[in-house]
Amino acid sequence: MTQATSLALFCKVVDNYGDIGICWRFARQLAQEHGIAVTLWVDDLHTFQRICPEVQTGAALQQIGAIAVRHWSTQEGEFAPADIADIVIEFFGCEIPPGYIAAMAACEPRPVWLNLEGLSAEEWVEGCHALPSMHPRFSLTKHFFFPGFTEKTGGLLREAALEEERRQFQSDPAAMAAFLGQFGLTPQEIAARKVTLFCYPHAPVAQLFKAWEEGDEEIACLVPQGVAAQAVHAFLGQAANPGVMRRRGALSVRVLPFVPQQDYDKLLWASDLNFVRGEDSVVRAQWAGKPFIWHIYPQDENLHHKKLRAFLQRYAAGSASLDAFSLHWNGARPQGGAEAADWAALWADLRADITALTQHSIEWQRHMYTLGDLTTNLLKFSSSLR
Amino acid sequence: MKPAKEIRVGNIIMVDAKPFIVLRSDVNGSSRTGFTYKWKMKNLLTNAPLENVFRGDDKFDVVVLDKKPVTYSYFADPLYVFMDQEYNQYEIEEENLGEALNYLKDGMECEAVFYDGKAISVELPTTIARQIVYSEPAVKGNTSGNVLKDALIENAIEAKRFTVQVPLFVSQDDVIEIDTRTNEYKRIVRN
Repeated sequence: MTQATSLALFCKVVDNYGDIGICWRFARQLAQEHGIAVTLWVDDLHTFQRICPEVQTGAALQQIGAIAVRHWSTQEGEFAPADIADIVIEFFGCEIPPGYIAAMAACEPRPVWLNLEGLSAEEWVEGCHALPSMHPRFSLTKHFFFPGFTEKTGGLLREAALEEERRQFQSDPAAMAAFLGQFGLTPQEIAARKVTLFCYPHAPVAQLFKAWEEGDEEIACLVPQGVAAQAVHAFLGQAANPGVMRRRGALSVRVLPFVPQQDYDKLLWASDLNFVRGEDSVVRAQWAGKPFIWHIYPQDENLHHKKLRAFLQRYAAGSASLDAFSLHWNGARPQGGAEAADWAALWADLRADITALTQHSIEWQRHMYTLGDLTTNLLKFSSSLR
Repeated sequence: MKPAKEIRVGNIIMVDAKPFIVLRSDVNGSSRTGFTYKWKMKNLLTNAPLENVFRGDDKFDVVVLDKKPVTYSYFADPLYVFMDQEYNQYEIEEENLGEALNYLKDGMECEAVFYDGKAISVELPTTIARQIVYSEPAVKGNTSGNVLKDALIENAIEAKRFTVQVPLFVSQDDVIEIDTRTNEYKRIVRN
């Protein structure tokens, strides 16, 4: 068993920021905590730049901190065995260049080749995690590696210092107020129930806004620029630019600028309830120790509803309010529930359970900690293959 | 070259220049990258079993093998015996039959698949008709077809009887058509 020293991570940006967001987080942790020389191959430097301003969008090769970033602009190209990393990871099953694969097959010993898959709580994941996938033509074996929520999966991405940083931040009200203050939040907003809103465009935001607006509790909703653009614009009555805020009834909606990953964590930590979307932010929401509502990435034939129900089965078992709210938020119908969502009632039920849900999120965190973190688990698994 | 999503149980594929028969395929919903195919396979040269997982777009050489029409004849524990038109008998192991086991019936017509002169599996017709031997009573007037119930279909070996999902209006003793690729009910052939 030898320790790998280099790793190539191939990332194809399909849409949004999740792909590169996860890969960038993962790459940083590999380099900073495990001393791995990481080369991140990414096909869309413009999207990458949104979450990492240091990125030069015109550079074929650049160094960002300890990480080499290569613009993955073509499937062409020839590679020699010396170009191949000890561990090669294709993220979300992207197809790495055939020339690179041919060079992998010429390496002695072969590199560890992993397909790092998407997050799902479905049971079948346990049966596929860490399984081999022999190459049809070369003497090469890839392995599927799944993040997940049980000990039969790879766990979730989590930096070693994250919990301590969160604990310090959340136990310092002045630091939290200062952090929120930089976005222009007023004392009234800071004192209100703070909700972050990150969702896909089809979420029923306008209906929820109406329920909040007509409710009896002050709610400060913080929305990153570009999220739920139509509903936010309608509520504000003007362009949803960073810094714009409007109060109507019990609800204030404030548009935030696009923040770096570390600040997004703080935003989750400083809020009382987080609406998150996709894979990266739902993982961060779990480490925030706060209740959250997941807007899951939509798929054909409502496959995402199946994934959502599987997650709720693991995470929200016993919380009817969280279950019902989450399902309606994603356009699914709770079993035996009403077809049409009554957002005022759904919110009232969820709100009544917020204290219990906050406690549950802390217990869930403890459970997730016992699984170890994805990066360490992945490196251990890679070592077992070498 | 065929993508994994088009490969069926019973197909022979080449992996690293070795022939493998696909014994079982579990398709799992996956991320937006598509489905994951978990295959139980057997190396035809060594008989070594193997479990692998693939993406739907992974491409394989499918070995085109000799095939011959046969009918199911009898079970000679642990082998299933098929017969061709010249009364030659071919013994096939249970694990190589894959989902053909679900539809086993005396005289069942199918194609035996040969590798290196040996019958190694059978391929079923795409559509097959089977009688339902047990199902909960039909619901009168319910012809929506949206809600499904279990129906046990006939099988030459009682222990191998297989359950198909059918609409509520389908009754015990009905003969139904089934798509053998998906094991899905297609229509009633005879009430």
